[in-house]
Amino acid sequence: MIFLHPWLLAGLLAAGVPLLLHLVQRREPPTIVFPAVRYLLDATREHQRRLRIRHWLLLLLRTLLIVALVLAAAGPTVRRSGVTGHAPSALVLVVDNSLSSAAIVGGTPRIEQLVRAADGVLARATPGDALWLIVADGAARRGDPATLRAALRALTPSTTRLDLGSAVRAAGEVLSTEALPGEIVVVTDLQATALGAATARAPVTVARPEGAVPGNIGVAGLLAGSQPWSTDGGQVQVTVVGDSAAQVPLQLTAGDRPARQALATVGGAVQVAVAGASAGWYALRATIQPDELRLDDQRVLGLRMAPLARASCAPAGRFAEAACDVLRSNGRLLPGEDVVLAGFGPVASVILPPADPASLGAVNRELERRGVTWRFGDPAPAGSTDSNSVLSPTRLFRRLRLIPSGSGRTGVLVTAAGEPWLVRSGSVLLVGSRLDTAWTALPFQAEFVPFIDVLLNRLARGEVVTLDVPVGTAATLPDLVSTVVKGTQRWPVEGGGRYAPPDTGLYYLLRGTDTVGALAANPDPRESMLQQATDAQVRALWRGAAMVPLDHAASAAFSAGARGDLRGPLLWFALLLGLGEVGLASVWGRRA
Amino acid sequence: MSRPEASAARVRLDLLDPVDVARLGGLELVSEGIVEGFLSGLHRSPRRGFSVEFAEHRMYQPGDELRYVDWKMLGRSDRLYVKQYEEETNLRAMIVCDASKSMAWSGSPGVVLPKLAYAQRLIASLSLVLLRQRDATGLIVFDDEVRHVTPPRARAAHWRQLLATLSATKPGIGTAAAPALKRVVDTLRRRGLVVFVSDLLLDRELALTALRFLRHRGHQVVVLHLMDPAEVALSGPAEARFEDPETGASVVLRPRDWADAYDKTVKGAVSGWNAACRRSGIKYHRIVTDTPFGHALRVVLANSPA
Repeated sequence: MIFLHPWLLAGLLAAGVPLLLHLVQRREPPTIVFPAVRYLLDATREHQRRLRIRHWLLLLLRTLLIVALVLAAAGPTVRRSGVTGHAPSALVLVVDNSLSSAAIVGGTPRIEQLVRAADGVLARATPGDALWLIVADGAARRGDPATLRAALRALTPSTTRLDLGSAVRAAGEVLSTEALPGEIVVVTDLQATALGAATARAPVTVARPEGAVPGNIGVAGLLAGSQPWSTDGGQVQVTVVGDSAAQVPLQLTAGDRPARQALATVGGAVQVAVAGASAGWYALRATIQPDELRLDDQRVLGLRMAPLARASCAPAGRFAEAACDVLRSNGRLLPGEDVVLAGFGPVASVILPPADPASLGAVNRELERRGVTWRFGDPAPAGSTDSNSVLSPTRLFRRLRLIPSGSGRTGVLVTAAGEPWLVRSGSVLLVGSRLDTAWTALPFQAEFVPFIDVLLNRLARGEVVTLDVPVGTAATLPDLVSTVVKGTQRWPVEGGGRYAPPDTGLYYLLRGTDTVGALAANPDPRESMLQQATDAQVRALWRGAAMVPLDHAASAAFSAGARGDLRGPLLWFALLLGLGEVGLASVWGRRA
Repeated sequence: MSRPEASAARVRLDLLDPVDVARLGGLELVSEGIVEGFLSGLHRSPRRGFSVEFAEHRMYQPGDELRYVDWKMLGRSDRLYVKQYEEETNLRAMIVCDASKSMAWSGSPGVVLPKLAYAQRLIASLSLVLLRQRDATGLIVFDDEVRHVTPPRARAAHWRQLLATLSATKPGIGTAAAPALKRVVDTLRRRGLVVFVSDLLLDRELALTALRFLRHRGHQVVVLHLMDPAEVALSGPAEARFEDPETGASVVLRPRDWADAYDKTVKGAVSGWNAACRRSGIKYHRIVTDTPFGHALRVVLANSPA
């Protein structure tokens, strides 16, 4: 039994009122002196039993009357078979047009089967029904049957993932504010990876396809390592997932350069070398052979190639100089003055605390003259750097505080005890400690040379940001990014804000006219797994869910409305109870 | 209205509401007014005087009234004889009044006289009527025991004595009619009239036995069953504990639910008394205390022996 207004059931407490009154009236009544008590005693002796029965019957009738009225007000309905039409209902139709719905099954896209089944549900809707449609974007849209059917017909496979648990929860929230009897109909390919736990008060009907699920292979990952690459090229790692353990030919392209071929094993990763190219941004694409699901057969990544930094490391001390020698000998650094470590250079500078504290003021004045928004401050207590992507925790014996001179605190790359230790302002990097063993344990660590590489090749020349997020998922943009560009489309954004790519592809992040990064939007790898969840798995997560084939979605829908309304019978019953009460209270009262 | 006698010419007190009559004055005044009104409404007196018949002579003894000396006998025999007469009345009446606690109750104080107050005025009026007919009238007042016994006398001044007794009557506790009725036998040696005024909230069998005994002795017995209007029709709050002032017995009930059953029970009790009395040759009258005194007197006197 389902109630249209279950909160009114609280009124059942009123059913205790007659009993309460009965008990209250059992209090000691007022005493009346009455000489003819013997007549009363004679009268009660004869009629007491009958009157007691009458009292209890009246109490029962009044209690039942209140219960019947409250139940009627709560609008009880019961499931009734053989009902062709349905009472006005609230129905949320969840149509799973996630990426997996693009799979071709039996020669037709799965989405067509889903849309046909969902359309059958909406075809049964009446103007009195309250209808919502939830698709892969997760938004609940309310509309009349015609509007929603039109939206349904225009539905195409989305490149985003739909978490069915979230969709059912959202549907339940929508229905929680609706007075009509509600139900949720989920039309889905029922990917096991899309299933999530959900609790909804309304009954849930899941319409899913029956039969074999096609196998699928998709490109799940594309990693290019640390960027920018040198113009000599590098290696990328490609991950392939799918429902089989087969090997698939893989094609990798960077921009318009000739493709590189490789053989990838499903469920594993393959390293593919990418040839060097001139400096610039490239769209790196990994593509496999087309299968039943085309949308996950390709993956894209932004790739930045840049010439090696021409750096001078001598002013930074012997440890830094030694590290630079190693980098030069390994082709990661070129001799030159573009980037100066521990000194002001013409292109970029990495400024360390001066060895002579007396020159600290001069350094700060030069920083001010160059428009740098950071200054060296007082010595700070020893400690360690905080963990981050640039540098793992490293002991610091000495450091100077880095103090922002502007209004903001931007450009912090590494912190120590929560205070800035490595910051960037324009083309100038400030490090809070000198790179020798009197200041930090970093020169003793194996991480020292890679750190110098990152410092000179990436950070000093402006860090390259490459992001890879699923379609529809928001990513945090780097500071000062002002525009996101994809082909001819441009989206003004605010640096530091969040941006969700609407479709798959490569988005470039611009600061003014400079490209400072790339955002790759690719399908969620979980969508590549087409394996269907079992009914038992669904029922375990969605208690009481009814599982029907797609063909039966329409007939199974509006089960909440195809219910017998008990309000009428209850009101008749209440009327009979009321008449009985009046009759008992008057007629029998006179007889007594 | 300062004097009931004066007003009787205009307003017959015997027909007024008892509680209004009671407000007019004391027992003596209102009773006289009731009787005046009552008698003026009769076509003829129900009693016509009394006979003074010579019975015998006896020797004069010091202290005898000189007016009873037979002077003719003195002239013939030179001896002092006094004449003795038959009883100066043709009826001796004994009124037995219940003064138990239940008689002091009124269902609507100020609106309806308590049964005892009603009985006092009714008895005063009745006794005045009887005395005016030269009927010797006595009074016994009882509650759980006999409180006052006034032997029957026919003198006009005897009424004052009866009034004094009635006025001094205070409600007692319980009700024991049998001893009082037995005292009637002692005080009423000759056949006479016994008027039993009570609310009959007493031991029915004992009272009936005593009344039958009186009837058996040749007395005319009249039972005046006084009932308060509130005892006739049950009413009260939604629910109440009804408590007997004499026995303390109580019952909790809703008057609305029990009114009909109570009415049946009361009617059954009244008809039971009526039937039992009729079988024994006893006159039974139920008088509700909002009945004008004149009606009550008429009922009583119409059934008393001629």
